[in-house]
Amino acid sequence: MSDFLFFLEVSLAGLGSGALLSLTALAFVLIYKATRVINLAVSEILMMGGYFFFALAAGMSLSPWVALPLAIAGGGLIGAIVERGVIRRMLGESAISVFMVTVGLGSVLVGLVEFVWGTNPRTLPDFTGTAPVFIGQLYISRKIAIAFVVASLVIAIFLLLFRYWRGGVALRATATDQAAAYSCGINVPGVFSAAWIIGCATAAGAGILLGAIGGISPVMGAFGLSALVVVIVGGLDSVMGALVAGLLIGLVEAWAGTYLGGEYKLVSTFIILIVMLMVRPYGLFGTTEIERL
Amino acid sequence: MKSGITKRIFMALAASSALFAAQPAFAQGDDEIVIGGSIPLTGVFAFAGVAIEAGIQDYLKIVNEEGGIDGRQVRLAYEDTGYQVDQSVAVFNKLTSQNPNIRLYYGDSTGFSRTINPELERRGDIMMAGASFATEINDPENFSNQFIAGPDYTEMYSILLEYIAQETPGAKLVFVNSDTEFGRDPIESSTARAQELGLEVVEQIITPPGAVDVSTEVLKLRRAQPDYTIFHGYVLAPLPEFMTQAKQLGLETKFMGTFWSMDSSLWADVGDAADGFMGVMPYRYYYDEEEAPMLERIRQMRPDYQATGYMQGFLTAMLMTESVKRTLEAGEELTADNMKKALNSIEDFDTGGIVGVPISVPGNTVPVGRIYQYDAAEQRMEAVSDWINVQE
Repeated sequence: MSDFLFFLEVSLAGLGSGALLSLTALAFVLIYKATRVINLAVSEILMMGGYFFFALAAGMSLSPWVALPLAIAGGGLIGAIVERGVIRRMLGESAISVFMVTVGLGSVLVGLVEFVWGTNPRTLPDFTGTAPVFIGQLYISRKIAIAFVVASLVIAIFLLLFRYWRGGVALRATATDQAAAYSCGINVPGVFSAAWIIGCATAAGAGILLGAIGGISPVMGAFGLSALVVVIVGGLDSVMGALVAGLLIGLVEAWAGTYLGGEYKLVSTFIILIVMLMVRPYGLFGTTEIERL
Repeated sequence: MKSGITKRIFMALAASSALFAAQPAFAQGDDEIVIGGSIPLTGVFAFAGVAIEAGIQDYLKIVNEEGGIDGRQVRLAYEDTGYQVDQSVAVFNKLTSQNPNIRLYYGDSTGFSRTINPELERRGDIMMAGASFATEINDPENFSNQFIAGPDYTEMYSILLEYIAQETPGAKLVFVNSDTEFGRDPIESSTARAQELGLEVVEQIITPPGAVDVSTEVLKLRRAQPDYTIFHGYVLAPLPEFMTQAKQLGLETKFMGTFWSMDSSLWADVGDAADGFMGVMPYRYYYDEEEAPMLERIRQMRPDYQATGYMQGFLTAMLMTESVKRTLEAGEELTADNMKKALNSIEDFDTGGIVGVPISVPGNTVPVGRIYQYDAAEQRMEAVSDWINVQE
């Protein structure tokens, strides 16, 4: 195989894994966009999605196609419970307090998983098939190809919803100015709930895809931290930013890993992060916030 | 309405509760021998810690039921570390101050073994083993109070390489290692060993810690077209995905791993992709059918499968208590030096079948292992080699 074809294969693989990062980043963005809360527990809700799917598909022997929506709904349910039970009570508290609550929530979810399912890593029942995918002569991992298609579709749907759906417009209005949104008759607490439910359901879906590739374990939430880098690079409140930054970081990681060595993957990611924070701290597509002092 | 509990009653209850909680400390006999433990029951290594603790406890139960060591009971005092070095050190300090009879210690990581080593040398009253098989611990001069209840990682690679050299002389190899201290441990020494055995390492692939997607690494593997691919520095992920994609690409490489990837229950859910995975195992499996009285006893105590970490904990406790026994029989004090000397006197020792051959501890390790291969249909690891001793 020629070096150029190899380069194209590596690039395709990078785009695929970048799409998975984008999908996880989307969960952070949706919640932040509506509520201005950086929900670090997204990582653990991603893990819960994987475990819900495992419990339903492996534990209860349900068809993966039944287990899939149920597990995603389970993620949404966690979002609803957390928002109504904890986050809404903290309205008006400092951002750091809410942030710390989400850190604590993450620890609680890890403990819950270790208590219920134990500490062993586990493998999800296969629902993606095993036949390899070739684009011409170019090989791409089937699961990564699926992740790419799913992430692209989901992000496209969200972009359309935010533009044309009433609820999406309400979310954008709430994100822009909560008081003005209230005065226009928008149900702001309802928007908060919807953002948490949709964000956590998205994280759960990403967790199932991630689990299908690498298996599940109580520490799989560490992947969410990589996605946090994507969010910062793309812009904390930008859906398009999550997509572009995810693909960009996926590509750079793939090239660095292949041509420099695996030890340079994370180094390259964090170099991008540092440069971005220095040059455009609000990210590629994030809202530029100017504070008058 | 006035509460029924006065301040005086509350204080009395609190004092009696405190006394009740402290009871074990008061009840502790002077002649009891305590094994301290910084054991990871949560965190990334919890799957092993839980099994290790069970293995140690079961062997101590056997020892105590048979009257202890020279009439002295042996107890494990341990706490969870979350696999964090600072927490492991804090647990060490707490347990050693609460239990003056700690003479043995189980540590949870290479980082902890290295960090606590100067303190062990200073104290001179504790001998330690643990979950780390790091090559650097196999240094009787600098880690004089520590040992490994199995081969170190370089020795594990040597066992794999000797097997490969015998099966496929001149084979092409790819090493796949995680970018962690654990993963990088044997790369340099094992590359040299492979050359000595006439094997060629054609590619070294490093994956970032916690890597999930390995698509680009599989592409590198396809370019290298090795006969054998050896993974190290992983438990399970991303091995199944590596193997699945390699099979999709029609690669005929054989996949191998080291001890912490060798638990058959981990591979049970992976399915057909796991079939044929091989690796080095320093102990027998719970279900091995060859004659092994100690395995039989374990199966009576615990009817369900016990993971590889259990065997590691069990053998560690066996070697620790054997050292104490030999030290006391020689009429010597339980110092680290004396216990280590007793440990090194262990030669052709019968483990009751936990290891399939009599073992010796010439330095800081037990340099013996065997190659097992996973049979997906049976969901078991099957032995495919004799026991290989790589003692120099």
